[in-house]
Formats: sequence, structure tokens, C-alpha cells
Amino acid sequence: MEPVIKVSNLVQKIGRQILFNGLSFEVLPGESFGVFGLRGAGKTTLLHILAGVDRFKSGQVEVLGYNIKKSEKFKRDLGLVTQEKSLFLDMTVVENLDFMAALKKSSRSDVYQMIERYALKDLLAEPVILLAMGSFQRLSLACAMLNRPKLLIADEIIKDFDLYSRNLILRELRQFQAEGGTCVFGFSNIDFCEQLSKVGWLENGKLKVYEPESARAEWHRQIKLYAEQSDSHYV
Amino acid sequence: MFKQCPAIMKRELFYMWRDKGLRNILLIGPLLGLFLFMGIYSHPRIDHITTAVVDLDQSEASRQVIAELRNTQDLEIACYPENFKQLEELVKRGEVMVGVVIPENYAKNIALQRQTRVAVVIDGANITYATNAASAVLTVTRNLGAQVGVKTLIARGIQPNQAKEAYQSIEFREEAWFNPTLNYAYFLVLALVLNIWQQCCMLASCMNIVGENGVRSWLQIKASGLSAFKLFCSKSIVHISVFMLLVLPVYYLAFVIFKLPLNCGIITFLLFTLIFAVSLHSLGTLISSFSSNAVDASRFGMVIALPSFVISGFTWPIAAMPQWFQPLAWVLPQTWFFQGINYFVLKNPGWEMMNRYFLVLGMMAVLCYSLSALFTHCFQARFR
Amino acid sequence: MQQLLNIAHYEVVHIFKDRILFLVVFVVPFIYASLLGMIYASSILQQVPLAIVDLDHSAESRAVVSAFENSNDFRVIPSVDTYAELEQGMKNGTVRAGVVIPEDYSQSLSQHRLTQILTVYDGSNLIYGYNTRRYFQLVLNTFSAEHTAAYLGGLGMSKQEIKSVMDSVSVTMQVWYNPNYSYSTFIFPGLIIIILHQIGLLGIGLTITREKERNTWLQYLCAAVPQWKIFMGKALPYFIVNFFNYGLLLWLAARFINVKLEGSLALILLLGLLFNIIITSLGFVISLYAPNSLQVSRYLMLLSVPLFFIAGYTWPGTHMPVLLYGLGKLMPFTWMAEGLRLVTLKDLGANYLAITIIIMSCMAAFTSFLAVTFTKRRNPAAEGGLVVNSGSTYPKKNFLN
Repeated sequence: MEPVIKVSNLVQKIGRQILFNGLSFEVLPGESFGVFGLRGAGKTTLLHILAGVDRFKSGQVEVLGYNIKKSEKFKRDLGLVTQEKSLFLDMTVVENLDFMAALKKSSRSDVYQMIERYALKDLLAEPVILLAMGSFQRLSLACAMLNRPKLLIADEIIKDFDLYSRNLILRELRQFQAEGGTCVFGFSNIDFCEQLSKVGWLENGKLKVYEPESARAEWHRQIKLYAEQSDSHYV
Repeated sequence: MFKQCPAIMKRELFYMWRDKGLRNILLIGPLLGLFLFMGIYSHPRIDHITTAVVDLDQSEASRQVIAELRNTQDLEIACYPENFKQLEELVKRGEVMVGVVIPENYAKNIALQRQTRVAVVIDGANITYATNAASAVLTVTRNLGAQVGVKTLIARGIQPNQAKEAYQSIEFREEAWFNPTLNYAYFLVLALVLNIWQQCCMLASCMNIVGENGVRSWLQIKASGLSAFKLFCSKSIVHISVFMLLVLPVYYLAFVIFKLPLNCGIITFLLFTLIFAVSLHSLGTLISSFSSNAVDASRFGMVIALPSFVISGFTWPIAAMPQWFQPLAWVLPQTWFFQGINYFVLKNPGWEMMNRYFLVLGMMAVLCYSLSALFTHCFQARFR
Repeated sequence: MQQLLNIAHYEVVHIFKDRILFLVVFVVPFIYASLLGMIYASSILQQVPLAIVDLDHSAESRAVVSAFENSNDFRVIPSVDTYAELEQGMKNGTVRAGVVIPEDYSQSLSQHRLTQILTVYDGSNLIYGYNTRRYFQLVLNTFSAEHTAAYLGGLGMSKQEIKSVMDSVSVTMQVWYNPNYSYSTFIFPGLIIIILHQIGLLGIGLTITREKERNTWLQYLCAAVPQWKIFMGKALPYFIVNFFNYGLLLWLAARFINVKLEGSLALILLLGLLFNIIITSLGFVISLYAPNSLQVSRYLMLLSVPLFFIAGYTWPGTHMPVLLYGLGKLMPFTWMAEGLRLVTLKDLGANYLAITIIIMSCMAAFTSFLAVTFTKRRNPAAEGGLVVNSGSTYPKKNFLN
């Protein structure tokens, strides 16, 4: 099976600081790949590189079969949900959907369907800036799904918002995967592992791939390690 | 009390330095402007205006006309087109500014005392050129008329000394005061540079309030109970000192290196600059107090600072503006500043006249600072 | 096409929502033009305040005085009688020019001795200086002709004879294109162009910085929409408004400020079109590469004055150092202002404007090329360090929202 994402020897520098020191990994079709790391590890940078938004220093990145340094075509089958708000805050919900549909060349019926699926009907006339976090995230996902992508890149999609939205979003993500879609998530709460089929642990410029269960085990091992270390100081 | 102020000042200085855009503008803007405008007006007089002569007569007399034209420093004969058509083409293409046509039979007509007519055309598209060219041509005309007239009279049998007297008994001497060589650089360069300087300062002073209460650290300042008066006072002192520091090298280069004239003493001029810097800063602070963010503040500031030079009547005089507009022009501190520059630098009319300028600029500063304090206070009240 | 119009549609929606942007785009050019128009409305510098120091008080000196009184160019200030008062008046600006008639004026004339009339003018403002100098020449030419005629009459020549002597050679002076030296005709078209130039850039110059500040630029980058569509969609509203403003300001100039506007309409429109393409694409490019709106606003505004003066629009380029002259020639403003002057003032045809049009077309092609070939990848954020206002944020009072 041809991988959806193929990264080899990716190097990224910010100023003089090296952020990625030769990352290599693959994501296969239908997989749900999670990029895990603590603050500053470079999750968002990595996802932005995969989404074709940020430039990188060197290495090979292929997405959906295209070398992303040379082609823009992969963006037709790509959806992106960002960690920081990136919708048009000065517009209403429906205007956002309409405009994003225009950018992505999606049809009117796609817009209606997204409104239906993400339960946005009652919010259509609301300014986006006034939306509660849960509703906002539903809208973000709806916008990302407008062009019926094959690959969804979502950064910290689940946050501390209402459970209705949380449930709806998780349901839609499962549906997306059931239809053969591939997901790449960025996350920092280890509990999100249960949604994933693989976890890439980003630390000190390197990415180490775990099965979800072993990632969780590693996390708990480290928690315990640090707890013992700090306790020993007081002994 | 005395510990807080220096701390705030130090922080403000760092803030100005670390705002890279502002730093570049303040440090480079005025100096670059000085070199640029000094360069533009490095040849400070419009002389050697390109002139074409169509000599259809080719005689001794017509050559005399040409010699007369040559005599003036302002005109320079560049070419001799063969006919009027060619001359017209040259003027249209902008290759010559002045065209002189000496008609056929010019010499013969003069000898026969018949009327003859020399035609002069001037390209009026650029007035700076045209005005100078016209003055030069008018002088030539008078001299030429006198020469030919004297000859005609003598030919008619009138005594040579009488003939001369008829034309040349009165000599007209012209003096341009305050700027005897009509040096454009003396007139304009310093004011243009200070125009750039005041625009830069305006950009900086627009940040005074919004740069403080538009960032999150404002919450810390509010929580610390520091008085707003003390805060903005210290900041303003830093700003104004920086403005004055920036103008010093400009003055040094302008007056010492480029030798621009300065008729009043440098101390007086620095004091005048200082009082303007204060009132400009107060205006910027006022703008800052009612703008909701830094971009808007900069825009408002520039909306005023940009046309202020034109409004000040430094070039096109206020007296020539519509009657009802004239009082409005005097509302801006820049008008007082630029008018003051003109008087101080070139004329030095004395303290009795100029103290008004200091007084008005000072009063403007008091007014603007009070208003901005009021606005800031209202905004905070609404904020709570 | 639908995609392009959609981008344009939402840009328009934004312009109408952002009150200040709306003002900048629709109102400020008009206000600036009206303001400057009022300033230059009188367009001709007349009634220069003149002091005549008549130390002679004779019939002959009275003739000099009346020669100046009859001129519309001067306004004689009666209160000044002495040289000291003239000096004082010149210094405090109540008087801009002076004539000094020596006390032995009539005596010298009657004794056939050479005498001298002194004319002084204020060189501290050369708009006064140059014009006053010309006015003096005009009045003195008239006066000395009258004087000669009177002298010849004194010699017993008949009027006919005097006329034929005096007119034996006459010089007619024609000033083409701007015969009455109208200052507004001279300067106003250039001011209109610099207004459109600066406000045009400032309008579209914030279109991408704004998206960057709000992080929405990501949405354009990660969608498969080609660069040229982003550019065309975003530029279209500004392009149309700028073109409308171009027409409006020219109309205002011709209708209310009595600026002479002649020449072929087609050429005026063509120049406007090319200029507009250059400005909108240049503004877009600036916006692409500028870090934030604050920096764009600051730098752009500061450029106005240098651009205007380096263009050689007032002070001729031939009297500037070659380097600066060449630098000026790189600026679109230089070509547009000069081109417009050639068409509207000199009423020249297309063959005289060939070079201007070719160069402006090249500039338009170049800037448009830059605008549609930008890369859709952002550079990684530079090392932050201790810098302020250089990232994608700037101080805002409503930061808590």
C-alpha cells in the first residue's frame, strides 16, 4: 500500500535552533496517526509542514503521492484544523462556510451537508467571534471537511469544551475513518491515544513511533520516574 | 517615587529601541532625508535653461540678439533649429524650455526702421522653470529694446548721448534679501528634512498611550497602583529627549557641514525646536489616547502630519489661501513650526515678534496633554 | 471565476466592516484632494505686498509709484515710508517686496545724471521670490518704455515718431501650456497622483497583513487555490475603487480647482489603468512580505515626501545629480506624474508618450508577476528575542476580547 504521508530526513531550523533533526516516518491510508509532544516540541510546526503551509529546511516530504516542495495538488484532498483560531472572526458562521467553500471549490450541497452533520443550523447567523469553544471547533472541522478530503490534519482538536460537541466531533472523526480517510492529529493529552492507531512521540528533534498502548505506558513510566526523583530530594 | 521614574524611563528607552521598525525610522529617516534633499538641491539655482534659437535672418543684427541671450547666465543656447516647426517639436518633447524666433529680414527691417518682431516661447509646463525663464527673457527684452532704440535714434540724427539717456538714464538694481543668490537649497532643504523628522516623531508619539494600555502588561501596571500621571510623564520625557537627540546630528550636518544659513543663534533655534517637539508630542499623545489600536493611531497621526507641510504655507503662502481657510491653517503646531523656521533661519526678526510662536506652541501642548488625560480617563472609566 | 469573485466579494464585505479602511479607501483621497485644492484654489500669486520707499517725493518719483500701483501683481502697503520700516516689514513678513527711489531721483533725471531705482524682494520663500522677480521685470519694462517715450516727447518728437522708434523691435513672449503661471495647474495633478499612489498602497497594503495577524492566511495557504486567484480576487475591489478615485479626483481638479486638463481621454484612461495595475499589485506584494499592518502604515506614509521630490516634478531632474535622477526614474510615480502632465497639460499625442507607456507597461508586468508568483509557504517564525511590534501583533486596546 502506498503511504499517504512519507517523510524522510526532515530538518527544520528556527533561527539557529534546530527543531527537527532528521525526522522520518510514514502514515498509511486509513491510519489515525497522532503526533504527541509537550509544549515547544514542534507538533504544530510539523503539522503545518505536512499541510503545505510552512517552509522547511531540508528533507523529503510526500503527501498523497506528491512531493510537497514541487506541487500544490495535494491540497485539493486536504483538510486542516489549526490549534490557534484561524477562521474569519469578523464574519458569521454561514459566511465562513460559504467563503471556505469558495476557497476549496466545494459545492453548495457540501455546505448544506456540513451544516447538517455538525449541527450548525442554529448558529448560522452568529458572528464567529462570539461562538463557544465547542461550537467553534465544530465549525472548524466542518470547514476542513468541506472539500471531502482524503487526509485530515487536526491540531489539538479536542479541548476542554462541552461534551456534546466533543461527542459529535469524535463521532464524525470515526465516520471519516470508516469511509477510508486518513488522519494526522497533534495532541498533548495522553488520553487522546484511544482514538489513534499509531503515535509519533516528538522529543528533542526526533520522532519515535509507538503503538498507542505503549505510548501510554511510556508516559506513565516517565511520570513515575520524575515523581520518584523529586521525592528522593526530600529524603 | 524617585526610583520609579528612572525605571520607567529606562524601560521606555528599551521599548523604543526594540521596536525595530520605529528604531529604523527614527534613526535613519531624518538623516536619509537630509542627504536626499541636499542631493536634489545640490545645484541650487535653475540656470542654464536650455534654449533654442531659430535664426531665420542670419545677419549681424540677429547675431547680436543671440549674443544678448548668451549674456544672461540663466539661459543656455542648446541648438539652432531651422524652422518654427522643429522648434515646436523640441518644446513638445521637453528638450528645450525656451525658444526664440528671429524673423527673416530682421536686420533689414531694423535698418529701414520698419517694425519687426522677435517671438519668444516658453514651456510653461513646469512653473519653476517658466518663471525663471520669463524673468531672464524680460531682462533680455529690455536690453535689446534699448540697444536697438539707441541705434534707431542715432540713425534719426539724435545726439548719441541723448539717445542713450532716453533709454538708460535709470538703472534698475535688484536685490533678493535673506537669500541673495536665490538658492533653492537654503529655502527648502532644512524645512523638508524637518518635515520628515516631524513625521517620524509623530509616528513615535502616537504610540505613547496605546502602546501602553494596548498590551497585556497594562494589567500589571494597573494592578501595581502606579499613577498614570507619573507613568506618562516619564515616558513623554524620554520621547521628547529622543526627538531632540535625533535632530542634533541633522542640525550639525545641515549648519556645519552643508553650511545652510542660520541667522538666529543655535540656542534659540534649539529651544524653538524643543517647544515644537513638545507640542508635536502632545498632539501625538492626544491621537494615541482615542485610537483603539496602534495602526489606527499611526494612520490618524499621518493623516495630520502628511499634509501639514503644505498647509503650513511654507511653500505656497498662507496669504494666497482662501480667506476662511487661513485661520484653520494656524490650528496645527506644524504651521507655527514651519513658519517659525522660515523667520528664524533666514530673517531673524527678533524676540518681540517670535515670542508669540513660543507662546502658542506651549499653549497647544498644554491643551493637547490635558485633553489626552481626559480621554484616557474616560476610556478607563468605560473599561471598568 | 466564481472562486475569484467570491474572494473579491468577501474583501468588499471586509472593507465595509472596517470603518477606517472604508474611510481610507473611499473618503480620504477625496478629502485630501479637496483640502489641497482649497489651498491652491487661488492658483496665481497676486497682490504681493509691496512697500515703496519714496525718498524723493517728486512728480517723477510719483510716476514710479503709480506704475506699481497700476499693476495687479502688487499691492502697495501705504504705511511704509522709510528704509528702516521696509527692513522691518520684510523681516516680519508684512511686506514681501520693496522699491526704493533715491532722494536725488528727479534732480538726477533733470541733470542728465544716471540714477538708480532699487528693487528688493524676499528670497526666503522662493515661490514669492521667483514670482516677484518676474513681476518686477514686467512693471519695470512698462515703466522704462513710458519713461523713454516721455523723454523722446521732451525732445520734440511726435507721437507717431516715438511709436515707430519704440516699436522698431518688439519681443512677444508666449508662455505655452500654462500661460498665466497657474500654480494649481502646475502642482495639482502631481499631488493627485501622489495621493492615489499612497492611499492606494495603504488600502491594499493591509489586505494580507490583516490575514496574517488573524491567522486566517493559513486557510488560503492550505487550500488548493492558485496564487493568481488570490491576487486577482483581493485586488479587484481596490482596483475598481482606485480607478473610480482617479476619475473622481481628476474631475474635481478640472471642475472646481480650475486645473487645466486637456488631451486625449483615451490616453488619460490608459495611463490611469497602467498606474492602477502597478499600484494594486505593488501594494499586494508589500502586504505579502510585510510583517504586520503597523509597519506597512509607518513606512509607506514616510515615503510620500521623498517620492514627490525625487520625481523631478517640481525641481527639474536635469538640475539633480545623475544618481538621484536615475533613482527617481525607477519609481512609477515619476513616470505617471510626468506622463499625465504631458497629456493633460501639453496635450500631446500617443507618439510622444511611447516611452512612458512602454516603461509603465513593463513596471505593471513586473509587479503583477511578483504578485502572482509568491510562494505559498511561510517562513518559520524567526527567533523572537527582544523585539517589539515586529511579529504579527501590535498594541490594541481591546486585547481582552
